[in-house]
Amino acid sequence: MTTRAEFMARIRAELGKTRGLPPATPARRPERPRVEAEAIRAELAERWPEALERFRHELEKVGGVFYRVATLAEVVPVVAGIARERAARRLVSWHAAELGGDLGPALTAHGLEPVAMPPGEVASAAERQRLRELVAAAELGLTGADLAIAETGTLVLSSGAGRPRSTSLLPPYHIALFDRTALVESLAQAGVFLELWHADGEPGNRGAVISFITGPSRTADIELTLTRGVHGPKEVHAIFVEAPIRG
Amino acid sequence: MSQADLSIPFRRRAGRAMEDAFLQEALTIATTKFIGLRREAFDAFPEGERLRDVAREIKEATLQHLDRYLEQLIGNVERFGGRVHFATTPAEARAVILEIGRRAGARMAVKSKSMATEEIHLNEALEAAGIVPVETDLGEYIIQLAHERPSHIIAPAIHKTKGQIADLFGKELKRTVPADPEALTKLARGELREKFLQADLGITGANFAVADTGTVVLVTNEGNGRMVTSLPRVHVAVMGVEKVVPSMTDLMVFLAILAKSATGQKLSVYTTLVQGPRRAGELEGPEEFHLVLLDNGRVDQLAGPLREALDCLRCGACLNVCPVYRQIGGHAYGHTYPGPIGILLTAMLNGPGSVKELAHASSLCGACVDACPVRIDIPRMLIELRREVDEKRIAPWIERVVFTSVGWLLARPLLYGLAGRIARVLQRPFVRDGAIRSLPLFGDWTRTRDLPAVASRTFRERWSELERETPR
Repeated sequence: MTTRAEFMARIRAELGKTRGLPPATPARRPERPRVEAEAIRAELAERWPEALERFRHELEKVGGVFYRVATLAEVVPVVAGIARERAARRLVSWHAAELGGDLGPALTAHGLEPVAMPPGEVASAAERQRLRELVAAAELGLTGADLAIAETGTLVLSSGAGRPRSTSLLPPYHIALFDRTALVESLAQAGVFLELWHADGEPGNRGAVISFITGPSRTADIELTLTRGVHGPKEVHAIFVEAPIRG
Repeated sequence: MSQADLSIPFRRRAGRAMEDAFLQEALTIATTKFIGLRREAFDAFPEGERLRDVAREIKEATLQHLDRYLEQLIGNVERFGGRVHFATTPAEARAVILEIGRRAGARMAVKSKSMATEEIHLNEALEAAGIVPVETDLGEYIIQLAHERPSHIIAPAIHKTKGQIADLFGKELKRTVPADPEALTKLARGELREKFLQADLGITGANFAVADTGTVVLVTNEGNGRMVTSLPRVHVAVMGVEKVVPSMTDLMVFLAILAKSATGQKLSVYTTLVQGPRRAGELEGPEEFHLVLLDNGRVDQLAGPLREALDCLRCGACLNVCPVYRQIGGHAYGHTYPGPIGILLTAMLNGPGSVKELAHASSLCGACVDACPVRIDIPRMLIELRREVDEKRIAPWIERVVFTSVGWLLARPLLYGLAGRIARVLQRPFVRDGAIRSLPLFGDWTRTRDLPAVASRTFRERWSELERETPR
């Protein structure tokens, strides 16, 4: 077996043979990501309606559905409506602290069967398995979003405690809530936030996965016929909440 | 035709593909559609042209300091609890992965689409070791059921009809299924969902890996990449060493052009950034994360003639625009990577001797360079390869004799002029309407195209006349 030392030594030896290559540099990274991220937020404090309109346009182009409500409480009838039209009841959601509030009782009052994910480590493997089966059997997955990228209609979700990856993946209908603070205009701006999240080099409270989601799961592998929901959700609903829902 | 039989000459393989009426239609529809979608995507993205240059420079910068970025990547993957393995050859890569599978007691492995695992023929090795490999990308699943290999980098099953696919599914499920894409997709979803939840091992490639953060990046449309990296107990990612990028900022540049080049989407549906195994507090995610760094001929090219091919993002754009690929499809090439870039990658992986025929399977029209998101000069390297193939005397003798004589003649103006005058006389029996329609010994050339006849007055003769007539 090749060892790390052997492997790297060969690469160095080959690199040593290169001659006369034109100088090249990677993309310029934000020197102070926090400052640049704040600058983006400050700019968007004025420009956000345009960015939100672009997000709606792009999301709809990729087959997503956009909603706009004033407060978190108004999310409930929207979710209940989506569920009713699809004759769905079983809903799994991020933990209330990650979602920005506890919608459980209100959803139950609307005839849904919501289950919120636990806020921290689940030590028992059997309990983890039980929760996983619950998510796999659910019809609706309710999550937040850390970024909403206007240019592409993309939702960015970081995994972690109280925000399992599967809630936006296994149920056929994914519903994501976001507010103005999540909105960015472009992939380049999203890059600044990614740099910021990784700036200290520590995992912090983040989970191991960041997912960019651009509309419902799709394939065109059979005779180039577009089909939705092959492995991931067949519908993605994004609800913009005007009142801030995150700290 | 399943996997192309390399004992059959390329010309016959290509000929068969051209006689396959369904394949011809499927290729035309698919490649034309992809070309249109790609063009629309870039037309609506004014900064695209600049970003292509930026992306190319990032690739160059990374390759020039590949040792540094790989060390950084390795350090970060290990810091987050992952393990890194080193494979110089496909056999080594297979052995590493089998050992991981064995230690995990794996019986089944779910895979998301990965050209790197195709390249090392991993599935056969897994099967032989008693681990059932399950391809979960719908296109890959179809061709796995058919025991074939992908015919396009991003649309592996474009050569199959829905009827053929319905037959395959019917055989697998032991019942009749309708030949309807939507129904077939739903069936596959149900079948594969079970396997995602059962499998012990998840195997993926990597579209990119970010050195600065130790993050492996997967791009999919179906969501299988997310499944494979979240549900099984062990995740193994296999990547060529050239896939590393320095930072998240660099990654965003590539994401902005990759999907547009591949399918014309602004972004693929899912871009999944994986930083090691499950963290405390997470409900799901693998307990073990392994990254296999693959050389397989790549390192030799860091200072080699095919270096530029290491910039390839595997988007498939050059396949769609290639007049040869559009005629013969992926299987006729006979190797893992088809199309113009595939010829170069095959030479990189298997040596130039493996492409003595394929090096000529290009019209050198340059459409691939225009379509390539990082503007890889594929024709330049194909010409290099042809020369190398020629020097090693693997080209047909008639070609060697002709090109050597022409080369010799072109360097001697007087003899060249004389040869022209002789040719003018000798060609007479073959010329009709100003063209040579058939020529002994050159039947292969003249069967499909005409050779222009040597003019009654050559350019050089006219030039000297003009010089005499025009007063200075």
